[in-house]
Amino acid sequence: MTMIDGSTPATRPGLSATPAVRVVDVRKGYGAVRAVDGVSFDVRPGEVFGLLGPNGAGKTTTVEMLEGLRAPDSGELEVLGIDVARNPDELKQRVGVTLQTAELYPKLTVVEVLDLFRSFYKRSLPTNELIEFLDLGERKTAQTRQLSGGQRQRLAVALALVNDPEVIFLDEPTTGLDPAARRSLWDLVQKLQGQGKTILLTTHYMEEAEVLCDRLAIMDHGKILAMGTVNELVADRFKDRSVRFDEIASITDEQLTGLPGVESIKHDDGETVLYTQDVPATIGGVLALTEALGVEPGNLGIRRPTLEDLFLDLTGRALRD
Amino acid sequence: MQALIQLSIANIRSFVRDRAALFWTFAFPLIFVILFGLIFQGGSTSIKLAWVDSDSSSASAALRASFASIKEVVLTDEDLASATDQMKTGKVDAIIEIPHGYGASVAAATAAGAIPTTPATVTVVTDPTQAATGGIVQEVVAGVLGAVNQGGRPPIVSATVTTIQTQNLNIISYLVPSILGMALMQLGVFAAIPLVADREKKILKRLNATPLHRWQLVGSNVVMRLIIGIIQTLIIVAVGTALFGLQVTGSLILLGSLVVLGALAFISLGYVIASFAPTEDAANSMTSVVQFPLMFLSGTFFVIDQMPQPLQVVARFLPLTYLSDALRQVMVNGTAFSPLWFCFAVLIGWTAICFGISSRFFRWQ
Repeated sequence: MTMIDGSTPATRPGLSATPAVRVVDVRKGYGAVRAVDGVSFDVRPGEVFGLLGPNGAGKTTTVEMLEGLRAPDSGELEVLGIDVARNPDELKQRVGVTLQTAELYPKLTVVEVLDLFRSFYKRSLPTNELIEFLDLGERKTAQTRQLSGGQRQRLAVALALVNDPEVIFLDEPTTGLDPAARRSLWDLVQKLQGQGKTILLTTHYMEEAEVLCDRLAIMDHGKILAMGTVNELVADRFKDRSVRFDEIASITDEQLTGLPGVESIKHDDGETVLYTQDVPATIGGVLALTEALGVEPGNLGIRRPTLEDLFLDLTGRALRD
Repeated sequence: MQALIQLSIANIRSFVRDRAALFWTFAFPLIFVILFGLIFQGGSTSIKLAWVDSDSSSASAALRASFASIKEVVLTDEDLASATDQMKTGKVDAIIEIPHGYGASVAAATAAGAIPTTPATVTVVTDPTQAATGGIVQEVVAGVLGAVNQGGRPPIVSATVTTIQTQNLNIISYLVPSILGMALMQLGVFAAIPLVADREKKILKRLNATPLHRWQLVGSNVVMRLIIGIIQTLIIVAVGTALFGLQVTGSLILLGSLVVLGALAFISLGYVIASFAPTEDAANSMTSVVQFPLMFLSGTFFVIDQMPQPLQVVARFLPLTYLSDALRQVMVNGTAFSPLWFCFAVLIGWTAICFGISSRFFRWQ
């Protein structure tokens, strides 16, 4: 199977396919802390699946158990039909991994580190192909400590690809990267998805989850709170659409709930959000009310509910902190 | 196998590109060898003689004056017991003993019309391991006695040379094996630091997510340090030989196996440190705490027999004591394996215990 030219037809999520990753009621505790508390999910072949949640939600522990780096207290973990606990060697031959921290042999060059990792696997892709694919050609003789954050992360991904894995685990792949580097990593993930790789990634960025993930699970305190595609997740919970504008102090909540179509209201970070079943009627009401008060509704607009709203709704907290 | 080789190469590359590591490994022991070599070489231009006069006659006083008139000779008057002590501790290079009755013998031999008798005898005590110094002493003695004897034919005074084994080997012969032992000790103990650093940087964890086996990881680490240890040995011995006339008399195979075994013993100690050091900084401090007593209490710079009694007891428990001692025996005295079995046993036992402890307590993540 050739990976780089992308000529292999991508296996899109098959209906009857056995899952590439299977997690059944997995638990892992550290002392009194239940880091992972009964988590179950499947990742289909060719799918990009995201674990979304704040730091400490148990995402990394879950992924590291799948990578064979930590043993679960209970539950089943399977990757490509391989029992992780029973056959870690075979598993490691067939998956690719990036860890949260990407520091690797600071005094070795890009080519040297790649060649080193290639020697660990029975089967590996040529170094030059990897370097080209990850756009590291200009830095291939640079020592890894001289790389920028984005380059370092691309090298980490390259190391995850040396064995041409079928399943790739990316733990917080864009944390700490600047926006441009983040974009380029997103492109990379999409390119890999185009080649039919199954990817399980963790992130605490809503936008990243929305852009990259076919499906995702929202995690908090070691549990999965909700799971599905972005649309399913948001539409399931928010049948209403919403109208938003910059908060106006002189308008009371009673006035707002009295507007046509409004189901509920929310104040968040300097904005007022009105959940409504009738967007035009609600906007008309807002305009009439503000005109009567002689004020202008700043940044008035229709807003699609986001994962952020979902998380806030599920946990009562914003994801950002 | 391929993985083991590649990982060893990666370790060596990382090591060679780390200037501080290079300095401590290669330059630091060499500086010791050269520094000590120069200091002790310079000091040996004067000859310290203990003068033991059991006769106290005018003839012996005259002989003493003859010795004292030689510029390079420093005389101290001692009785035989304290002279022997001083010789053993290296405070004097040789003893010259004038026997009771020396004056009478000389007087008899030089009296007018004396019949030739056996000449009066002085005893010269030297250390056989300090061949150069011993030779100079004998030349000095021969010169002085020659002048005394000039008037008489047959000789009036002759010298018998006896030797005592002192603890003081030729200083370079002593120091080179010691410094080699110290270098191997540091090489091994310092294995803790990059290992803990790799754990802290999650490199070990990342490797753990590959099919690489832990024995390959440990093996590559050991291979790399053994290669460096052998290079260190070659350099230290070469410099000792070229600059200070060191002669390695023992079996090279025995020396080589000691070097490997010594390196292993201290690498395993390094792993014990790595097992209990949570961070790289902690590993650094623990390494210092471990290496300094080893350096100073294992007879590297000070002869153990001269240390205070409690410290001598401590020294008996330190593996470097046995490594340095065995290295010295093999390199300088050409000792064979059989008298050294205990040193080998200590090093092997130490290695086994340390590897056991670290395989029990080392955390990979």
